[in-house]
Amino acid sequence: MPGLARGGLAGDTARWRHYTLAPAVAVYLALTALPIANLLVMSVHDIRWEQGVAQWAFAGAKHFAELPRDQLFRDGLANTALFAVCAVSAELVLGFLLALFTSRVVRGRLFYRTAFLLPILIPGIVIGAIWKLAYNPDFGVINQLLGLAGLPGKDWLGEKTLAFASIVVVDIWHWTPFVFLLLLAGLESLPQDVYEAAKIDGASAWQELRYVTAPMMIPTIAVTAVFRLIVSFKVFDEVYLLTGGGPGTATEVVSFTIYRRFFTEDRIGYGSAISVVVLFLLTLVIVLALAALRRRRDAA
Amino acid sequence: MVGSRTASLGMHAVLVLAALVVIFPIVWIALAALKTQIALLRGDVFFTPVWTNFNELLFSRSSDYLADFLNSLIVASVSTALVLAIATPAAYSLHRLGWPRWVPAAVLLWSLVFHMLPPITMVGPWYVMFRSLGLDNTYTGLAAAHLALNLPIGIWLMSVFVREIPLELEEAARVDGCTTPQMLWRIVVPLVAPGLAATAVICFVFSWNEFAVALNVTARQTATVPVAIARFAQEYEIKHGVMAAGAVLSAIPAVLLLLAAQRHIVKGLTAGAIR
Amino acid sequence: MAPGTIRPRARRWTGVGVAAVALALASGAAAAQKVAPINVVINQSPWFGGFSKVVEAYEKETGNKVNLDVNPFAGSAEKQRSSVRAREGQVDLLVMNSTWLAEFYHGGFLVPLNDIDPGFKLDPQVINYDDTAYWDPKTKTNNSRTGVVYGVPINGNIAVLYYRADLYEQAGLKAPTTWEELLANARKLHNPPNVYGIVVRGARSASDISYDWMPYLHSHNGAIFKDEKNGDFTVTLNSPEGKKALDVYLELAKTAGPPNPGSYGQAQVIQALVTGKAAHATPVIAAWSQMDDATKSAVVGKMNVVVLPHGPGGQPAPTLGHFIGAIPKNIPRERQVAALAFLKWFQTYDAQLKYAQAGQPPIRKDVYAADFGKKPEFRWMKAMVDSAPYPRMMYTVPEGAQIVAVLELRLNQAVIGERTSTDALNTAAAEIYEIMRKAGYKTGRLPDLK
Repeated sequence: MPGLARGGLAGDTARWRHYTLAPAVAVYLALTALPIANLLVMSVHDIRWEQGVAQWAFAGAKHFAELPRDQLFRDGLANTALFAVCAVSAELVLGFLLALFTSRVVRGRLFYRTAFLLPILIPGIVIGAIWKLAYNPDFGVINQLLGLAGLPGKDWLGEKTLAFASIVVVDIWHWTPFVFLLLLAGLESLPQDVYEAAKIDGASAWQELRYVTAPMMIPTIAVTAVFRLIVSFKVFDEVYLLTGGGPGTATEVVSFTIYRRFFTEDRIGYGSAISVVVLFLLTLVIVLALAALRRRRDAA
Repeated sequence: MVGSRTASLGMHAVLVLAALVVIFPIVWIALAALKTQIALLRGDVFFTPVWTNFNELLFSRSSDYLADFLNSLIVASVSTALVLAIATPAAYSLHRLGWPRWVPAAVLLWSLVFHMLPPITMVGPWYVMFRSLGLDNTYTGLAAAHLALNLPIGIWLMSVFVREIPLELEEAARVDGCTTPQMLWRIVVPLVAPGLAATAVICFVFSWNEFAVALNVTARQTATVPVAIARFAQEYEIKHGVMAAGAVLSAIPAVLLLLAAQRHIVKGLTAGAIR
Repeated sequence: MAPGTIRPRARRWTGVGVAAVALALASGAAAAQKVAPINVVINQSPWFGGFSKVVEAYEKETGNKVNLDVNPFAGSAEKQRSSVRAREGQVDLLVMNSTWLAEFYHGGFLVPLNDIDPGFKLDPQVINYDDTAYWDPKTKTNNSRTGVVYGVPINGNIAVLYYRADLYEQAGLKAPTTWEELLANARKLHNPPNVYGIVVRGARSASDISYDWMPYLHSHNGAIFKDEKNGDFTVTLNSPEGKKALDVYLELAKTAGPPNPGSYGQAQVIQALVTGKAAHATPVIAAWSQMDDATKSAVVGKMNVVVLPHGPGGQPAPTLGHFIGAIPKNIPRERQVAALAFLKWFQTYDAQLKYAQAGQPPIRKDVYAADFGKKPEFRWMKAMVDSAPYPRMMYTVPEGAQIVAVLELRLNQAVIGERTSTDALNTAAAEIYEIMRKAGYKTGRLPDLK
């Protein structure tokens, strides 16, 4: 949106636009440039330690060539993509619904806001440990409740598809608050005059939602979705504690594979290559999605 | 505001149901904090509450929970304040101060890419960097790391909220001779208040619960709450009760922050601002 | 070298002390004197309590400071790794777990203890944990014959057989010495869903099923490699012995265990024991402290432990989960001396006695024979002393983590019924061979099992 910015620049803007951006750029240069550069460099090297000193051996594209043959990586990528899509879409829908209703009701708003926020306040490691107990086939509370209702208990983390569904459920419980919080803030920031105009025009609740709220919320939803997606690719604690990637490789996720290769097996070069590839794929997906979104909005 | 009564009841019904589903595990975690380990492992529904978990968490020789709690409070507050203070002007600058299009695109893209890095890959370079500057095991080091980790989402979120500020408002202010700092302070910040509050809560919570980096750049003196809690997930014995106790106490600051933040949000505020 | 820290109180008040100070200043050695404070990264675990008591005693007796940096288990490996790789480390005494000590040895980060004190020797009463305190930098193997001493064991954690002594008494059973006997006993006590005959640790994780199955392999005279101590890494996993070992494991899991053995990690196995659901299991001795604790266990006084069974023609082969204390190269000499002073003190009878009385497995054979070991709450000591001649390392190469990852996956697939034992072993052997070949070891492999 040019217009104001281009045309009516106040005298001080030229300076201030630098001052206001400088701190952020400084932080990025000081703290983020090194890790990213480091990662890129490591992904084309093999690093061994001998006599207490690091030996860097240039490996070219060797690691990248090995990736497609790495079964664990392929399973991990597929699982994570599926996990991300299922969990994030569910969270977006639920989060939006809850945010919408919370913003519309008159009473109890504070209660709902606080209640729906609670899961995200619990550290991931506690969530993993406690849900693991809950899913325990012999003693867990879920099977106990089912038993009360006369239903047979299941081995929630022991069967392949069930285990996958179980961690998706935990993720939804854990992260819907994030979506809820952001979408609620977005809803509360919407200018009210548009709604007044819609009411005057006699729009129904559904029309209001479809033609007024939804379009205006698209930026917020998009950003929430993007960040939620990115974080879901980094999911680690819960999966680690709940299933360790099993049974078999049913819940093997990419961050796991990276952790295992990079840290446990100390194959820093290879682990970095995996990170670079995942990073690249994810960036590609997000950039394309955002570009498509912008094109649709500009066309509309 | 929806007119019909049934619609309102319907919404409440959904909300209450959702609240129950959300709260049930929370209550369970809180109760776990009061159970003995065997009661927890056996899934006892009826149990005699004990304080031993809180005792072990707060007063045992191997735990510095209160000190770690204070560390988390300091690091999370400082890093959140910094994120907000840096991201808000940056967002305003990127979208409203006339940069050519590639600048905001580059900054936002860089934010995204950095945000995607698995924390474990950052630990190595940061540890080396901090150690050579003498910043390992300091508040400064960890707060700087958390600032870097949360700045991406800070910039992106504040971008969304900044772009919703009506241009006419800015135009009017400029015509009145408003300088950029005045613009930021008098117009932008009040208008993005709900977004600011939400971002504050998100950044605070992320910093508070951050584990991988905190574990590696801190030692005993500056360890944070997640590190403290993780100490009880031991090789042969996951001390669920103590971890639950830690989690319960750990949730308190964020809840307080949320309540305080809500007090400062004026609902339906933009309507009032556009005079 | 002077006797060191044996008479600390005397030195502060007598002329001998003054002379010793002068001597120390002159020679630069701190053996008879207060030494620099040391940093130790330690993980929060059941044995931490015992260790910290011993540390307190050391500080009181010698006046030397030991700073314990308590970390979660995975965290302590990360921290120590970062520390040894930095230009100057912050950790002075490394506490290395058996699963990752290979990395530190192979990386050349450790200093031979005789470089710090030429007269130092491991006390002959200290148990030999499969030569892991020794290292031969030329052949790059843990070999006590050709190598020199690099560390002192800090903790003697090994796997043992836990069983329900009360159920044994009721059924008139005797503790098993072979896996077949264990199978028979487990089947007799198998009474689902109240009690499972045996709960195996069949889950796939950073280390679950492979650790659990190793004793079976080794006690059948099988092994992953042909002759690790002498550098021959031919993969012998898929041998007839290996198949026998895996088959008896699967038999136990299938006929005397819960319906889903593939979901039981270490925590779940211990949970099954303390809630009374398992009649047998084979976790490490470190889990014992939970058994007789009324707040953690429903089977107080009912459990007992015995040395692991063995296969036909083999010996018991408990897998090591122990810790070795070693000293890094990248710290100033005075801190290395201080760290060694602590290790010297730690391996003495008195120190180990305190350790055992705090409920932790001592690293000296003679402490196991002490009187207090006869008390009922120390009934675990007999299993430990019986196991002392036999503990085995799972692997001693830095590629260990990759090897374990392969074993975890393939063994887990066998136990959940996705692969036959033959197929699992053949696949695992092929993958391990690839790993060793790429890493440049002298290796080969056996033909596939039919």
